[in-house]
Amino acid sequence: MRYLYHAMCMNLKSIAQYRASFLMQNIAQFVMVGGEFLAVVVLMTRFTSAGQWSADEIMFFWGVMQFTFALCECLGRGISTFAYYVGSGDFDTMLLRPRPLMQQVMGHRLDPRRLGGMIVGGGAIALSCARLNIPWTAERLGLTLMAAVGGFFLILGLFLIEATVSFFSVRSIEMVNVLTYGGRATCQYPSDLYPRPLRILFTWVAPFALSMHLPISYVLGKPLFHVPTALVWLAPLAGPLFFLMMTRVWHVGVRHYRSTGT
Amino acid sequence: MRFLEAEGLSKTYIRRCKPKDGGISRLWKRDTQVINALQDASFSVDEGELVGLIGPNGAGKSTTVKLLTGILTPTGGTCRVDGRVPWLERREHVRHLGAVFGQRTQLWWDVPIHDSFLLLRDVYSMDKAAWQRRLDELVDALDLEEFLHTPLRQLSLGQRMRAELCGSLLHQPRLLFLDEPTIGLDAVSKLKLRAFLKEENRQRGTTILLTTHDMEDMLALCQRVMVLGRGKLLYDGQLDALLRRYDTVHTLRCTFDGQADLSRLPAAIHQERDGEAYALTFAPAEIPTREVLSHVLACGTIREMTLKEQNIDHLIARMYEEMQL
Repeated sequence: MRYLYHAMCMNLKSIAQYRASFLMQNIAQFVMVGGEFLAVVVLMTRFTSAGQWSADEIMFFWGVMQFTFALCECLGRGISTFAYYVGSGDFDTMLLRPRPLMQQVMGHRLDPRRLGGMIVGGGAIALSCARLNIPWTAERLGLTLMAAVGGFFLILGLFLIEATVSFFSVRSIEMVNVLTYGGRATCQYPSDLYPRPLRILFTWVAPFALSMHLPISYVLGKPLFHVPTALVWLAPLAGPLFFLMMTRVWHVGVRHYRSTGT
Repeated sequence: MRFLEAEGLSKTYIRRCKPKDGGISRLWKRDTQVINALQDASFSVDEGELVGLIGPNGAGKSTTVKLLTGILTPTGGTCRVDGRVPWLERREHVRHLGAVFGQRTQLWWDVPIHDSFLLLRDVYSMDKAAWQRRLDELVDALDLEEFLHTPLRQLSLGQRMRAELCGSLLHQPRLLFLDEPTIGLDAVSKLKLRAFLKEENRQRGTTILLTTHDMEDMLALCQRVMVLGRGKLLYDGQLDALLRRYDTVHTLRCTFDGQADLSRLPAAIHQERDGEAYALTFAPAEIPTREVLSHVLACGTIREMTLKEQNIDHLIARMYEEMQL
């Protein structure tokens, strides 16, 4: 842990070397995600509701997803850009250090530019909460947290797919982005809005519905799919489980690492 | 058991490439091509040895180093370093291992090198006092003091190489891999680096494996060398013996006062005119130097004369040629 913490500090120091650039990118992120947010607001003032969800409830979903995804992009930058380190040979250096590999990959890069995205996400959550009057019990608070944690690991796990593919093919496939960025765009809205095939995809393949939608719908008082309460608590664990599985597969990939010429 | 043992170590790659012909099927058909990066290499190294690894580009030097460091998993054979299999016991193995790759940095690019060394302390879980002592030692030996707080990217190549060396030796590894450590360095830096490595090897008994294209490095540092070519270990033994085998031609350069008549020199002496001077090449095995000299003395009044061995680069080039690399 001490190592990971110091590795991340190192990263921040590197970024601090380019202050102006950092500031600009943060503003750019803020504007970009802010634009998306405005799009949601516009849509919701037009239609006021979607399916069984009111505009404010949709915004709550959107905010949790946006915040979690931005946090993932920030802390999981090392994983999402891993393919690049395979190509550049940086991974050689990690293999030469007596630390768990996943720890090193995570510590290799941070992306605090995503702070802008997190702020917008947090803002959306705060705004929708203010208008929704959710009775904040410990249970609801806990479930919201579970949703964020579950989603966090799920997204990291999805990033890992591309990282694993990079061991076998130098040019990593865009296919994976369907699940990561596609998953983000799709699952910002509750999954019961979607047709069956998409619902299955995001419940059983990339389980956003299990790790995020189930607990959040419960928090909003409109449980999805009539699931018993105990299961609502268990469902977000699909995220960490997915992450663990992908880590295993990734380690198999390490065996096939071919390095690059020097 | 020896410190480092490799037996039948092999690494093959399968490369897929588009077939050269075949019309539309080129789009999905792929030919597979098996590349033997390293074939059946067996060798062993004792603790405290300083071994050179040479061979033309693509000979398998880097592959060998990467197998021994545990970066790559071999497709055949096995090796043990200090009783451990590198790719199976990676973390324990690399704890006692240092590596410097001449063309790639392992420190953090944008931060002062001292910060990098601090983080390395965590990486290797070093005791603070021991770390400080070792750092002081290395900073002193490698002259790092004046730029210890400068970001790596602002350092010159020579300074960077010294910083890299410091980083790779902080945790007092028992085995050090150097991949072309003197590449791109100026003469003074090269000499200093060699002196440092020799000292490190002598004082601490650090085993050093060195790959290089710089034959002067070899001469200065290694008594033992391994020659790789096309993925095979072609020679493993004393550097002297190798050179003696190929160092067969000497060149005598001389200028004469006044007229000289070289027409009566025996055919075993090859002559070439180079401005005022004559370059006479001969093989001591064919015609002894003493005889050559008496022949040349008879040709005219010598003003100046030098006798040269062949340049080591030429020797190696000849060797590669003979081994058909």
